[in-house]
Amino acid sequence: MSNPASINGGSAVAMVGKDCVAIACDLRLGNQSLGVANNFEKVFQFGHVFLGLTGLATDVITLNETFRFKTNLYKMREERDIEPETFANLVSTSLYEKRFGPYFVGPIVAGINSKTNQPFICSFDSIGCIDYSKDFAVVGTASDQLYGMCEGLYEPNLSPDDLFETISQALLNANDRDALSGWGAAVYIITKDKISKRYLKSRQD
Amino acid sequence: MNGINVDINHLKKGEVNLGTSIMAVKFDGGVILGADSRTTTGAYIANRVTDKLTQVHGTVWCCRSGSAADTQAVADIVKYHLELYEAQHGAPPTTKIAASLFQELCYNNKDALTAGIICAGYDDKEKGAIYSIPIGGSIHKQEYAIAGSGSTFIYGYCNKNFKSNMTRDETVEFIKTSLSQAIKWDGSSGGVIRMVVLTASGVERLVFYPEDYVNA
Amino acid sequence: MAGLSFDNHQRNQFLSAKGFGSPKATSTGTTIVGVKFEGGVVIAADTRATSGPIVADKNCEKLHRLSPTIWCAGAGTAADTEMVTQLIGSNLELHAMSTERKPRVVTALTMLKQHLFKYQGHIGAYLIVGGVDPTGAHLFSIHAHGSTDIGFYQSLGSGSLAAMAVLESNWKEGLTKEEAMKLCTEAIEAGIWNDLGSGSNVDLCVMEVGKDAQLYRNYLKPNVREAKVKSYKFARGTTAVLKESIYNLVDIEETVVPMEVDTEA
Repeated sequence: MSNPASINGGSAVAMVGKDCVAIACDLRLGNQSLGVANNFEKVFQFGHVFLGLTGLATDVITLNETFRFKTNLYKMREERDIEPETFANLVSTSLYEKRFGPYFVGPIVAGINSKTNQPFICSFDSIGCIDYSKDFAVVGTASDQLYGMCEGLYEPNLSPDDLFETISQALLNANDRDALSGWGAAVYIITKDKISKRYLKSRQD
Repeated sequence: MNGINVDINHLKKGEVNLGTSIMAVKFDGGVILGADSRTTTGAYIANRVTDKLTQVHGTVWCCRSGSAADTQAVADIVKYHLELYEAQHGAPPTTKIAASLFQELCYNNKDALTAGIICAGYDDKEKGAIYSIPIGGSIHKQEYAIAGSGSTFIYGYCNKNFKSNMTRDETVEFIKTSLSQAIKWDGSSGGVIRMVVLTASGVERLVFYPEDYVNA
Repeated sequence: MAGLSFDNHQRNQFLSAKGFGSPKATSTGTTIVGVKFEGGVVIAADTRATSGPIVADKNCEKLHRLSPTIWCAGAGTAADTEMVTQLIGSNLELHAMSTERKPRVVTALTMLKQHLFKYQGHIGAYLIVGGVDPTGAHLFSIHAHGSTDIGFYQSLGSGSLAAMAVLESNWKEGLTKEEAMKLCTEAIEAGIWNDLGSGSNVDLCVMEVGKDAQLYRNYLKPNVREAKVKSYKFARGTTAVLKESIYNLVDIEETVVPMEVDTEA
């Protein structure tokens, strides 16, 4: 509890399916054990790339704005949206710039490359080390629980509908074992031409 | 730090150290430097065949003790300056010039450095010369010099057995026996004994393996 | 903008003082080794990344390219090994272009050690640098504080003791390429099995004089996960949904049609 990244609480998870990716987060914002808000979304969209940001809420907000600024500039210079792989490197360098005064965040990136149609997910530590993954990526105060859920539930090549059930159950059940995560959840299922966003019914304690 | 008492214990946790037994001895033809070959990180021997004798220019060399990173950085800087010196003056630098550079770097950065250096060499002006530059950045011209953690064990031996104007072979034997005792009693020293002989005829390198020196 | 920013440092110090310490960075618990052979050098690494007791990545890449013929294995803070390696890799390429010469291993070594020394150990990168250049084959190791070592064989990381035990007992003079590859693999395996911070697979990179470097990603995979016997797929509709919104991504094409303008009158 003496970690800035676990004052406000929150977790996020991303998964790869067949020609699709999913990214999900809880909705809680707290002050230590006191729940403060149940509408604090931790997944942000930049073009067709999605960024999950957990950790210290002030840094979550700051970084979301930073990346909105940077991706907008990127779009103007390149006249196209940023691709997930490129965005992952942008996140990495932006975090490492603050190597000796880090943002207390745990980011994950998910998206489908619009040129190659390859699904892409990865996660980062607070100083920008990229952890590329072929199956799932987890961050936040329930990351230990999420690792366990994902290792158990995940299987490759799930269809968008099956992937939704798997990622939702992984997140929901992990959150139920974390006092600092929960209070609702949001799940994005991303395919090359469709994005669906669902709010899940979850425990409110 | 109040300028008088320098706390060297706050420096560098968990870094590579040259526990070290090093020495340099003048003899009739020039100078010989000697060193053990052990580097440690805590209790682990990170390198058992280290070369702590570093060339900074031609027949001007140094023995390094203390932090491996610090002494390598200092030696690299001195090496750079001496190369520049020769290019600008058209003549090789003397041992004294090299030693002065070491001294200045070690004194000016004493708060940041853990470096005990013996600078020794042969030049046409001074022939053999030895300068000891211990941790605070002072400089001492000596007939022979010993340094490093292992040197504490051989102060008496060296004091009794050093003679001016020994022959080359006598000097090699003197260093070999001295360092073999330092290695024997100091846990931070060990491995092979490396030497370099600096004379008018140039550089000669020697290595003695444990079986060559245990009974020296 | 350029370089590292210390903007958040004071805030984080304040947080530390209030009892909110720093979060843990991903560290490559790691076993890395390097061995020279007749006409080249090979370096190898395990593929486990850890964050405290958690295995953060089961198959990460710890072999980094500094130039096409100079590679580097990294242990310590994962972000630091990655970033320092990318930075020196870039500078090495710029240096090679301005000097119109192939990059040398000693150049990479000097740039790395001077950079790390400048940061006094705060950049936690422990590296084994191996490579070939017009001068021949070379193998070095670098510690975070900026000290370097040279040798026929090197090992670094939390599994370096296990690896060094193998290297010290099986290394001999005049190894062939195949023997060096086998020795490296066995040394890394010693780390994988006996060191908790190391695990999963063996990555290997062979650099031979006069040839391009060859990267053998997952050269050995002694820890393949058994396929699940049962499916844990949920029945559709298991998860209760409160609200759903669907966004269809469509291509928007804009065509500009010039208006007819009456130029008369």
